[in-house]
Amino acid sequence: MKFQGTILLVDDESHIRKYVGLILGQLGTPKIIEAANGAEGVDAYTRETPDLVLLDINMPIMDGIETLRKLKEINPDCVVVMLTSLANRQTVEQAIELGASNYIRKDTSKAEITKALTETISACFDCT
Amino acid sequence: MDHLPTAAPFDLAKSKIMIVDDDRINIRILGGILRGEGYLLTEADSGEKALQVYAESLPDLVLLDVMMPGIDGFETCRRLNKNYGDQCAPVIFITAKSESDDVVEGLGAGGVDYLPKPFKAKEVIARIRSHLQNRALSEQRKQLVAQLSKANAAKNRFLGMAAHDLRNPLASIRGLSEFLREGAVGPLTPGQIDLINTIHSASQSMLDLVNELLDVATIEAGELKIHYGPHDLAELISKSVAMTNIEAAKKKTVVTFDTHGEAPILMLDGAKMTQVIDNLLSNAVKYSPPGSSVTATIQFDSTRGTYGFAVQDQGPGIPDGERDKLFKDFGRLSIQPTGGEKSTGLGLAICRKIVEAHGGTITAKNLTTHGCEFRVFLSANP
Repeated sequence: MKFQGTILLVDDESHIRKYVGLILGQLGTPKIIEAANGAEGVDAYTRETPDLVLLDINMPIMDGIETLRKLKEINPDCVVVMLTSLANRQTVEQAIELGASNYIRKDTSKAEITKALTETISACFDCT
Repeated sequence: MDHLPTAAPFDLAKSKIMIVDDDRINIRILGGILRGEGYLLTEADSGEKALQVYAESLPDLVLLDVMMPGIDGFETCRRLNKNYGDQCAPVIFITAKSESDDVVEGLGAGGVDYLPKPFKAKEVIARIRSHLQNRALSEQRKQLVAQLSKANAAKNRFLGMAAHDLRNPLASIRGLSEFLREGAVGPLTPGQIDLINTIHSASQSMLDLVNELLDVATIEAGELKIHYGPHDLAELISKSVAMTNIEAAKKKTVVTFDTHGEAPILMLDGAKMTQVIDNLLSNAVKYSPPGSSVTATIQFDSTRGTYGFAVQDQGPGIPDGERDKLFKDFGRLSIQPTGGEKSTGLGLAICRKIVEAHGGTITAKNLTTHGCEFRVFLSANP
């Protein structure tokens, strides 16, 4: 998959950033920016204006919901996909109401995460 | 267990007893007997007065005369029971010896016992002590049950949180080991691949365990929600059989499915019932020797008019005396998986809870030939 663009990956767990980052790399993502919490994520967004934000929900300092609110204030059209796990269903619903485009379960298999990220990227970028 | 919850020890000597009698002499006799035992006494000389004194003093036990002007003892007892429900103190009727019909009516009105006149001090003391003890024990039991259910809820919350926090790192370990195995970060020697496979399978079985613990925590917290929809049972089983055959092939075991020409559309939660089917099929493969055949069939119970399914294996069957452990949490039996597979002892407990949440039944029996059969029947009216 070939596409131009930048993806911002916000998650406080470094192993998730590494894992999801590796999958994004395999999918041919040209530029990945990482942030370890919501506050860092908002800074990075303002600085780099990425095309897609992958946003964790449970984070210290600023959680995913608060971060999503801030990002939508900065740019109402920004594309945000939540990174979630099983127990966050209600929070995911809240995120969708606040304007998140979709969510990806990060506690599933590599094949399933890859599939979900492929779909997300296809929907967000012009791919060849 | 080391830390059973404890209730405060009870001291019967300070118990409050209300004596209700329109005859002052009876009150004096009973009062004399009871004061000697260290009880605290209140008095009333009519039913109406008794209701008032009860509300003020909230006694632990009531001695109630039957024949009184105004509302009689039975009516007073009924009103006390109505007003205070489960919390109402035990009521002992004071009766003359001949009034055996009264005794029956008194017990019907909510009394717990009766004391015949003339009073015998030892009998009065023994009966009252026994009922005070009952009440104190029942109070204590209520407290202990409340403490235990609080402790159990806390355990489930803890279990849920712990399991949840373990999921993401485990999923990462498993996924990252897949990257290594694929050679995504460079070529590997057979020895390295062997180690990576071990990391992969260990993290996989830990994830399975954590997922089952989360299921149990969710179910125990009363958060198991069944989302009913119309599903083709044969199709659900076919899909599960196809999935299970992939794993079963490693043991040269074959899972077959015979619909008997039935394809019922049933109201059930597809994802959760699939979990049950998957679990029964993988158990059957797990406990049958390599090269076995496992059979799934659609069943119809004509007496109850309900559909279900059965899974037969060729394993050792359920050992005698271990049947009651089968569907319990962590109820591992003495039999072992035949191919080194893991068992958490939670799978069948989860199956039972899911099936019961559907209003259905799950049973197991040993086959006369070899192996055992699990049967699930759904409710005719979910």
